Amino acid sequence: MALVDYLPIAIMFALALVFAVVSLLLSRLIAPHDPTPEKLEPYECGIVPLQDPVQRFPVRFYLVAMLFVIFDIEIVFLFAWAVQFEALGWPGTIAVGVFTLLLVETLVYAWRRGALDWNIPHRERYRRVVAPEIEEAA
Amino acid sequence: MSNIDFLALGPEIAVTAAAVLLLMIEVARKPSARVWGWIAGIGIAAALGLSIAGWVLGRGTDANLYFSDMLALDGFSAFGGIVVFTLTGIGLIAGWGLVTSLRRRGAEFVALVLIAAAGMHLMAASANLIMLFIALEVASISFYVLAGITRNRAADEAALKYFLLGAFASAVFLYGIALVFAATGTLSMAGQESFLGETILLRPGVLLAGIALLIVGLGFKVSAAPFHVWAPDVYQGAPSGVTGFLAAGAKVGGFAALARVLTVPLDAYLDDWAPAVAVVAVASVVVGTLLAIAQDDIKRMLAYSSVAHAGFILLALTAGDAGVEAVWFYVSTYALQVVGAFAVVAAVSGPDTGASPLDSYAGLGKRSPMMAAGLGLMMIAMGGIPMTTGFVGKLGVFRAAIDAGYLWAVVTALVATVAGLFFYLRVIVRMYMDAPGGDAPALEVGRGPAWAVGITSAATIVLGIAPWPLLNMLRDALPF
Repeated sequence: MALVDYLPIAIMFALALVFAVVSLLLSRLIAPHDPTPEKLEPYECGIVPLQDPVQRFPVRFYLVAMLFVIFDIEIVFLFAWAVQFEALGWPGTIAVGVFTLLLVETLVYAWRRGALDWNIPHRERYRRVVAPEIEEAA
Repeated sequence: MSNIDFLALGPEIAVTAAAVLLLMIEVARKPSARVWGWIAGIGIAAALGLSIAGWVLGRGTDANLYFSDMLALDGFSAFGGIVVFTLTGIGLIAGWGLVTSLRRRGAEFVALVLIAAAGMHLMAASANLIMLFIALEVASISFYVLAGITRNRAADEAALKYFLLGAFASAVFLYGIALVFAATGTLSMAGQESFLGETILLRPGVLLAGIALLIVGLGFKVSAAPFHVWAPDVYQGAPSGVTGFLAAGAKVGGFAALARVLTVPLDAYLDDWAPAVAVVAVASVVVGTLLAIAQDDIKRMLAYSSVAHAGFILLALTAGDAGVEAVWFYVSTYALQVVGAFAVVAAVSGPDTGASPLDSYAGLGKRSPMMAAGLGLMMIAMGGIPMTTGFVGKLGVFRAAIDAGYLWAVVTALVATVAGLFFYLRVIVRMYMDAPGGDAPALEVGRGPAWAVGITSAATIVLGIAPWPLLNMLRDALPF
C-alpha cells in the first residue's frame, strides 16, 4: 500500500481542523459581546449554586466501574462469537464458555471480597468478613 | 489454517487453572497458606512437566506453529518454559514469608505470581506480534501489582512508577508493532520472515522505525540503558520477597521476546539493527557499572548491576541467530543468581520491607554463615569470576559479539567487568571483614530463603564448573 492511499485520511484531518477553526473564529467575530451580571450566572433564574459542582464522591463507584468493565469485555467478545456462531460450532461454544467462566470467576471473587456491599457498616457480612481484615491490616 | 494443539498452550493452562482454583477456594473456604502453596506448587510442577514434554517433542524441529500461527512450540519456547517455571517455583519459595505476612491477600499474591509466569512463558512462545504484546501485558500488569502488594508508601511509589513508565514503554512497543505491520503487511512472525527474506524494500524507513521502537519497548522491560530509570526505585521499593522474581522474570521474558523478534522476523535486517543493539548494550554496561558503584542500598546496587547485565546479554544479540545460545545461557543462569541474591536480601531485611541498606550486611558472615556464603557466591558469579556460571555466561556473550565484529563493544564491556568487581566484592568485604553494628544477634533464616539460596548456589557452582549439559541442551533451544 503506497503512502498516497492514505491521502483521503489526511484530507479528512485537514477539513476537520479547518471547520473547527473557522467556526470558532466566525462566532467570535460576528457574535455581539455584551455581558451583564445576570448573563454570567449559571442559571438566570433559580437557586444560586453554593459550592463547586466538582466534588469528591465515594470511592466505591470505582469498584462498580471495574465490575462494569468485566461485562463490557464480555459483550465485546460474545458479539464477535455470536455473528460467527454457525461457523465456529462446538469448539467455539466451548471456548466462549471457558472465557465466560473466567469472567464469572472475576465477578464472584470481587463479590465475595465485598465489592458489591453498599452501605457496608450495616451489613452482616461486612462485620463478619471485611471488618476483621481491615483490623488485621491496621 | 487453524491448527490447535493444546500442548503448546499446556503450561499456561496449568498455571492459570491453578490461579483460578486458588482464588475460588480462597473466597469459598478461606484455607490456610499451606493450601495456597500446594495448589501453586502443583500448578507450577504441571507447567514445568508440560514444558519438558514440549522440549522432548518440539526441540530441533522446524516451525511448529499452532492456533493460526499465534504460538510456537519449539526448543526456544520449551526451554523458556523450563526456565520460567523453575524460576517461579524458586521465587515463590524464597518469598513465602511475604505471602504469610500479607494474611488473606496472600492468595492474590500467589495467583498473580502464577499469572505472571503464564505471561512470561507466552512471551517466549509467541509467534505473532499481537500475541507477544498481550503476553507482555499479562506479565507486566501482574508485575506492577506485585511491586505494590504491601501497600506501604515505598511499595506504592515503586508500583506507580513501574506502572506509568511501563505503560509508556508498552505504547512505544505497540507503535513499533504497527510500523512493522505497515511495512510487511502481516503480524505473523513467520509471515514477516518469509516476506522480508524474499522482498527487498525500496524504502525501508517505516520498517527501520518500527524495529527501533520494538527495541526501545523491550529494552525498557529488560532495563537496558537509557531506558533503565525505573529499575532502582522499583527494586528498592518493592517488597524484598518478590523483588527477585520481578527482576529475574522481567529479564527472562524480555530477552526471550527480544531474541525471537530480532532473530526470526527481522533477521534479514541484522546489519541495520545490530549496531543499535551494540550501542544500547555498551551504554547499559557503562551506566549500570558506574552507577552501581555509588549505591549504598544493596537493592539499588543490584538494580544497576541488572542494567549492566542487560547490556552484557544484549552484546550476544548483535550476533543474531548465532548469539541466541549465549543469550539463553546468560539470562537463565543470571536469573538464578538474582533470585538467590534477593532470597538473602529477604532473609536479612524481611520479605515485606523495601529498603535494604548495605550497612545491615556488616558482619553477616558471623550472623548467618550460610546466607553470607550464598550472597557472596552470587556476587562472585555476577562479577564473572571463573568456576561460576557468571564466567561461562560472559565468555559466551563476548565470543558471540567478537564473532559478529563488535570488538570495541567487547573491550568496553571487559573494562566494565573489572570495574564491576569493585562493588560486588565490597559486599563480601562488608559481610566478612566488618563487625556487625550494635548488638546484632544471629540471623534467623526461614526454610524458604534457605532452600532458595541452596538450590541457586548449587546450580551456580555446578553449571559453572560443568556447563556442558546446559550448553548442549541450548543447541536445540533456537527459535523456529
